[in-house]
Amino acid sequence: MRDYVVEIIERTFNVAAYVATSIHDYPDVALASAVLFYWSRRASEDGLCMSAARACTLHDLIFRCAPGIVEIDPGRAVTDGARARIACQSLALELVEQSQVGICLSELDQLDLGLLETNRSMEEDDYMYSDDDEADCSDRDLDGIESEEDSLDWHPKPSSKVITKESLLLAQGEDLRRVMEFLKLKEQHARTLLIHHRWDVDKLFAVLVDKGKDQLFAEAGVTVLECKSYAASLFSPTVACNICMEDICANEVTVMDCSHCFCNNCWTEHFIVKINEGQSRRIRCMEHKCNAICDEAAIRNLVSARDPELAERFERFLLESYIDDNKMVKWCPSVPHCGNAIRVENDEYCEVECACGLQFCFRCSSEAHSPCSCLMWELWAKKCKDESETVNWMTVHTKPCPKCHKPVEKNGGCNLVSCICGQPFCWLCGGATGKNHTWTSISGHSCGRYKEDKEQSAERAKKDLYRYMHYHNRHKAHTDSFKLESRLKELIKDKISISESKNINYIDYTWVTNGLYRLFRSRRVLSYSYPFAYYMFGNDLFKDEMADEKKRELKKNLFEDQQERLESNVEKLSKSLEQQFDELTEEAVMAMRAEVINLSVHIDGICKKMYECIENDLLGSLEQAIHNISPYKSEGVERASELSVFTRDPSQCFLQLNSSLKGETMEPGRSSSGSPSFEKGCSSRKRGRREALLDLNMPARATFKSYDFNSQISHPR
Amino acid sequence: MLDLSRVQKELMDCNRDKDISGISVELRGDDLSRLFGTISGPIATPYEGGTFRIDIHLTDEYPFEPPKMQFMTKVWHPNISSQNGAICLDILKDQWSPALTIKTALLSLQALLSAPEPDDPQDAVVAQQYLRDYPTFVGTARYWTETFAKRASVGIEEKVQKLVEMGFPEDLVRKSLDKVGGDENMALEKLCSG
Ligand SMILES: [Zn+2]
Ligand SMILES: [Zn+2]
Ligand SMILES: [Zn+2]
Ligand SMILES: [Zn+2]
Ligand SMILES: [Zn+2]
Ligand SMILES: [Zn+2]
Ligand SMILES: [Zn+2]
Repeated sequence: MRDYVVEIIERTFNVAAYVATSIHDYPDVALASAVLFYWSRRASEDGLCMSAARACTLHDLIFRCAPGIVEIDPGRAVTDGARARIACQSLALELVEQSQVGICLSELDQLDLGLLETNRSMEEDDYMYSDDDEADCSDRDLDGIESEEDSLDWHPKPSSKVITKESLLLAQGEDLRRVMEFLKLKEQHARTLLIHHRWDVDKLFAVLVDKGKDQLFAEAGVTVLECKSYAASLFSPTVACNICMEDICANEVTVMDCSHCFCNNCWTEHFIVKINEGQSRRIRCMEHKCNAICDEAAIRNLVSARDPELAERFERFLLESYIDDNKMVKWCPSVPHCGNAIRVENDEYCEVECACGLQFCFRCSSEAHSPCSCLMWELWAKKCKDESETVNWMTVHTKPCPKCHKPVEKNGGCNLVSCICGQPFCWLCGGATGKNHTWTSISGHSCGRYKEDKEQSAERAKKDLYRYMHYHNRHKAHTDSFKLESRLKELIKDKISISESKNINYIDYTWVTNGLYRLFRSRRVLSYSYPFAYYMFGNDLFKDEMADEKKRELKKNLFEDQQERLESNVEKLSKSLEQQFDELTEEAVMAMRAEVINLSVHIDGICKKMYECIENDLLGSLEQAIHNISPYKSEGVERASELSVFTRDPSQCFLQLNSSLKGETMEPGRSSSGSPSFEKGCSSRKRGRREALLDLNMPARATFKSYDFNSQISHPR
Repeated sequence: MLDLSRVQKELMDCNRDKDISGISVELRGDDLSRLFGTISGPIATPYEGGTFRIDIHLTDEYPFEPPKMQFMTKVWHPNISSQNGAICLDILKDQWSPALTIKTALLSLQALLSAPEPDDPQDAVVAQQYLRDYPTFVGTARYWTETFAKRASVGIEEKVQKLVEMGFPEDLVRKSLDKVGGDENMALEKLCSG
């Protein structure tokens, strides 16, 4: 078995190395990456884990290998099949990407699964319609597209996961287990290490490699003793407690791992104070300058004897550290709270859908707002609130600070205002200034507008306001349409069942629902593209970046052009879907089908282009501000999947917490015939037809064509 | 609940060697939670010769929470507020350990007087002066020591005089001054509050 693992990995790496070395000779990159996928998939299908991986000599260009872990640069540790697959995938994608732009592999920095999307979009160009041949669409093409949408050879499972109250324990189980196994630690010590490193296992291992075990432990306050020393208590019947300054009976004292000994009363008192302070996760020893974190079992025992309720709170605090102290996990922002948290795998810039149905931006926890950046959306939401509360819309009271963008209120007649961040700026032009000023001039600043009279500034306020209203009205119009169209869902469902009952010949109506979801998704994009444009081409955020009026005008026109195209196509699709297809002749239905599919594909293409434009030409060209947005997903906001942790053997989890949960939530060992991800893929394909209406995230298409790998490389089985 | 027995032990222990350490702790009233400490200014510092009084408040959670300390005597020091005597010292905050005592805390304050940490200032104005114009800093600190830290021991009669002139009965003035250890303002506060 072990040899097999090594072989699989070696083959994978060989392919990687092949591509890496032959980049400048235009290698068959598609083939190489396909082979990579194949092998890595095999590895994970077979449930292989790489904990037995050995030092890698071949590929130090790409992999930094330490005994027991395979690391993929930078600092990404790979210890099991799932991770190996991810690593190989991203590697493969990276290779493809690199070879096309001709960057040397040693410059690899960020590996990102998101690249998968880019590659797909390139393949998809084959199916895109240009404006000219839009009307021309033969049936053969349509079938091609549709089967493409259904034939799901392989697609990435959602990388985000729902963590419920019940699976919270399970969710951290894997991380705990990895650290416990690798460092041969007790659970509490593993937890202390993880909490210290904010549950970033990769970072933890990186520190281990860089600084060594002792330093790793010392920094986190972990003391692992071979055997506890009870010397003090062995020889005398009483021990002097340094805290209460009393002599205490030797059986009423507790010695911590750091060998500091105090009486139980004092320990308990200390724990209670710390838990109440909300410091449950890092309760240090009472000794001065002792950095050791107290044993959670000792805390549990002592506190529950005094205050069982507080002991429970302590448990909860520990358990929820996985959510609260973890960059990759966030509570679902639903109100009332659904009790779930969401974990993402690769990138915090993404939008997810919780099991409760709420879609939100993972980064800022507000509603899904792509293609607006989080800052844009925050400003916009606030602006809408402020503006609607302003009785007189003409009085615009605040201006954003040129430094921190917080709105600053003007008080008094002076046009030199200053923000709480300390930045003074000119009220009239919004530009940063020096601090000294008189009534007629502001030092370090000459906008020439300082003497602008009240009428002019009122004029400006009016202009600002009209501009805002322009974007606001369009944003709102599309949001309203979205709400109206949501009702179409039920109507269409009815129509489909009517049609299906009328026709003896089975006709597939997936295209209707697919079209409907395309409508929903693109309507969203359209609606949020307005606040985006408001900030992108306005003065609030990018005044200096977009200083060149002509260029700005040009970019704005290009963007608005795309917006318009999207708008008109979305309206067309909306209209088309409102047809009473249950009353139409079969021929008319087929015509409608052609139109819906045609428009859907076209709209998807426009959205993608629009995002490319936003990411590369607009936000990408900014020199100072950094604005990231959630990437475009043809399939819509990703629905976080139920948590299923790869567990080789459930009995290996020595979880002490809430042991009652263990039986219910632990996943049974995986079958050897296939990996969960592929089972998932299959089931969602099966579900496709029957439950299509409920599935907002239906995969729009598949990419990897099947390939006869066995003719290329023989499999050892 | 405040550990009274520990506080009593601490008081006894602290006052045993007060002549050597230059540190003493006294009760402020009948209540063990209000104390005041005295430290003598370290030799070879601008604080030399001064006697600095520190207000100490013990919370119910003491010693599991740090004692709250604040200078009553005005002092010019980067880590002590020149406005209200608030102290910036790690062991009085997150580095506190129940194994420390009031005495160790006061000793740390004494050490702070001889070794300021201007990079972690409580009083930005003082800290800037310390870093940019050390001679002026020393001058100011010494002046403050002369003016505020030495007055407590001399001229008690002057203070009595002053307070009596404000219209308070002499015996009450003397009692109050005694209670607060000679601090004029605190005595006045006490007199006013009844
Ligand atoms: Zn004790
Ligand atoms: Zn210790
Ligand atoms: Zn939720
Ligand atoms: Zn956001
Ligand atoms: Zn500001
Ligand atoms: Zn002014
Ligand atoms: Zn100006």
